[in-house]
Amino acid sequence: MSPTPTQLLSYYVRSKPSAATEAAGAADVSRAAEHTKIIASAKTALRDAAYEGSLFSTPRFVVSPSRNPNAVLSPDPSASTVDFEWALNACDLESCLHRLRTEESAGLAAAARNCRLAEALFHAGRRDEALECGSRAFDIAGGDSHILDFCAWLFSNSGCHAEAAEAYRRLVSLRPDWTDGYRHASGSLAAIGAIDEAIAYALGASELARSSSELAVHAAELLQRAGRFDEAAAVLYSTAAEATPDPALLRVLSGVEMLRGRIDAALAAIEQAIADAPDRAEYHLHRAHLLLRRHDRPEAAAAIGEAAAIAPDDPAVRRARIALLAADGRLGDATALAGSLIHDHPEDEAAAETARHVLDLRRDLPEGDEIIVALGFRPKRPLRPQPGLLSRLATQRRVIRALIIRETRTRFGESKLGYGWAVLEPVLHISLLSVVFAIVMHGSPPIGSEFFVFYFTGLLPYHVFVHASGAMGFAITGNAPLLQLPLVTTFDVIVARGILELVTDVIVALLMLVGFAAVGLQAVPAELWTPATALAATAALGFGIGFVNAVVTVSVRSWDRIYAQVTRALYFCSGIFYVPGMMPDWVRDLLSWNPLLHAIDWFRSGFFETYQPHWLDRRYLLITVLLAVVAGLTLHAAFRRKLSEPL
Amino acid sequence: MISFDGVSKSYPTPYGRKAVLDDVSVVFAPGRNLGILGVNGAGKSTLLRLISGSEMPDRGRVTRYGRVSFPLGFSGTFHRSLSGRENVGFIARVYGASVKKTLAYVSEFAELGPYWNMPVNTYSSGMRARLAFGTCLAIDFDVYLIDEATEVGDERFRRKCAAAFRERTRSSDIILVTHNARTLRQYCDQGAVLTDGRLRLFEDLAGAFAHYRTLLAEAA
Repeated sequence: MSPTPTQLLSYYVRSKPSAATEAAGAADVSRAAEHTKIIASAKTALRDAAYEGSLFSTPRFVVSPSRNPNAVLSPDPSASTVDFEWALNACDLESCLHRLRTEESAGLAAAARNCRLAEALFHAGRRDEALECGSRAFDIAGGDSHILDFCAWLFSNSGCHAEAAEAYRRLVSLRPDWTDGYRHASGSLAAIGAIDEAIAYALGASELARSSSELAVHAAELLQRAGRFDEAAAVLYSTAAEATPDPALLRVLSGVEMLRGRIDAALAAIEQAIADAPDRAEYHLHRAHLLLRRHDRPEAAAAIGEAAAIAPDDPAVRRARIALLAADGRLGDATALAGSLIHDHPEDEAAAETARHVLDLRRDLPEGDEIIVALGFRPKRPLRPQPGLLSRLATQRRVIRALIIRETRTRFGESKLGYGWAVLEPVLHISLLSVVFAIVMHGSPPIGSEFFVFYFTGLLPYHVFVHASGAMGFAITGNAPLLQLPLVTTFDVIVARGILELVTDVIVALLMLVGFAAVGLQAVPAELWTPATALAATAALGFGIGFVNAVVTVSVRSWDRIYAQVTRALYFCSGIFYVPGMMPDWVRDLLSWNPLLHAIDWFRSGFFETYQPHWLDRRYLLITVLLAVVAGLTLHAAFRRKLSEPL
Repeated sequence: MISFDGVSKSYPTPYGRKAVLDDVSVVFAPGRNLGILGVNGAGKSTLLRLISGSEMPDRGRVTRYGRVSFPLGFSGTFHRSLSGRENVGFIARVYGASVKKTLAYVSEFAELGPYWNMPVNTYSSGMRARLAFGTCLAIDFDVYLIDEATEVGDERFRRKCAAAFRERTRSSDIILVTHNARTLRQYCDQGAVLTDGRLRLFEDLAGAFAHYRTLLAEAA
């Protein structure tokens, strides 16, 4: 299995500094070796060819194949020319060289000899010696057009562009209508960086052959290099007007127009070029580039698509596709394509550059490895079904449990005593009541024999109701940030608070009962059913009112103060430290509208078997509880959407 | 996948109600990373809360087929007097994740040292951000929500987050709200533009950018 682009690119990125350089280095070395081999074999071939003396397609100073065996025997200095010919024909380059170095350097014939030997030396791969002879010829007869012609050829083919340029300059002045001379002069001048002069010669050449696309293109390219775009365009247009322009010219024209900022003209030119040569991928790419400049992305994509259809594996085409994907923000696809490009062209610098560009766009991730991980090959997750009722209930149970655990820590966590306060506070409260009333009332409580137990039975249901309904009232406003968690609903936070308060109160009650037993007070009721039911009803009442409070508090911010007054009034109206029977009938009738009074009396009736008040109306209490719960939940449901808004 | 079906949401402002969404029906496909563009005040954060489910629409219905995160790096749920450990434990319990594993991951990720067991109100903002990112990343969501405005912390941690986040995006989608086209380019392969109560979804980023540019040009 072939590696995925991900793996490849990841490999590339991980090894970027070392491996990429190594790869490039290795390529260089192998290229260099290849090159040396080619040169070596070429040298051999050339040496062989020099023997034959006829294999050069355009020999300049042809070595004559005729041989004069006598000449070498002749010691006569006047026969030096003949000797030279003989030595040259015998490919005795050393003796030729020696002769030319020592003989008097003058005259056209001597210059010609130098040229001949230079050519032979050049083809034998002895470039320096060839140049030595060429320069000698140039010095001897720098005004002769044939000598100049050869010297210019030798110099330019040996990379001595300055000398070649000088030779061509002289040639052109000798033959002012020689178009190729202008062209060659321009080329040599451009090679040594004399752009302006090169342009002058290029324009000269183009003037001489106005319909030549090649010359116009050459001049235009030089002008473009010099930043003279307008002139470049002018040259190209004038040539285009002479004859049907060939696609190469149109391509250069399009480039020049783009540089002039005339995108439409550039597009027109490249489209004409494509009409003539529709199978050139590079033209399509150039057109795509222009379209991108015009922000015409769909058309550009289409153009790149055509280029890809012509040359799908061409690195430039693939780079363009990558760039387009990257520009579209489709970095996953772009990275994948870049990966395959690097795989196919590991030593291509432009490919590496393109890949790096894509990786750069993903700069959110500094390290290559991480970038790779995120490519668009991830498996799709299966859709989760909508949670059913059971799973919703499970979630709710989980959330409420988490909320309760959290609340225990926040509510009791701030002081050192923590949860202890929750127990201590009602103990102190009951103790205070007991002491005060024991003194005031001189004797026994209204029922039972212990003040402690009496007040306990009054205060516990009161606390269960007030703590739950009060704490639930603050549930939404106090937990606003928590409601930012999508799973946490207002219902959950309200219920969690209520449950925590209820559980706390029950635990406190049990602890106190244990405490009573420990100090010898008879407090544990004969049966637990009645007090438990009564307490459950009280808690339900508290929950119902708690929901109402929670909803109202969101809209009426001072509600907590109003409700504090209500609870204070309830403290006195619920028969906590008295029994309703102690009151006048009309007061008791009035008080019996208070459901909490029934709750407390019901609870007490479970503790004191003899206490069975005739005004106790359990049905009234339960109806009130039902109404409160329905009212609370309805109110909550009605305002559910509003409650979910951040406060 | 998350679908909006005729969803409307508006807010009372001193100048009348401002519509964030007006009868919007749209489907956010799975397997795509969506970037939502919108100018400041367009209601991007509200939209994100509607997506997450922490807020309910005035009308219409939002359906989530998968677990959607709370906005990445949101530290508002932390209780100031609880320790980092306790806060993270709470989130783990809420999402039904293993408390032990989550705590181990976050304590390693957030690098809080001794502060791990100290109340959050003793934390620097950077520490709080580390805790928040760690917590969100510790839980396996199908869709992660990012509000670009969220502060991340120092450069080193930003990289760490990005790395961990990328790890998550191998199998999860992201929805990102931003007013910055560059951010969107980095993370997303699908774009949407929120404006004047309308949410337009584009198949590719290019379309979204073009539309967004036009809007900005009109506004200017």
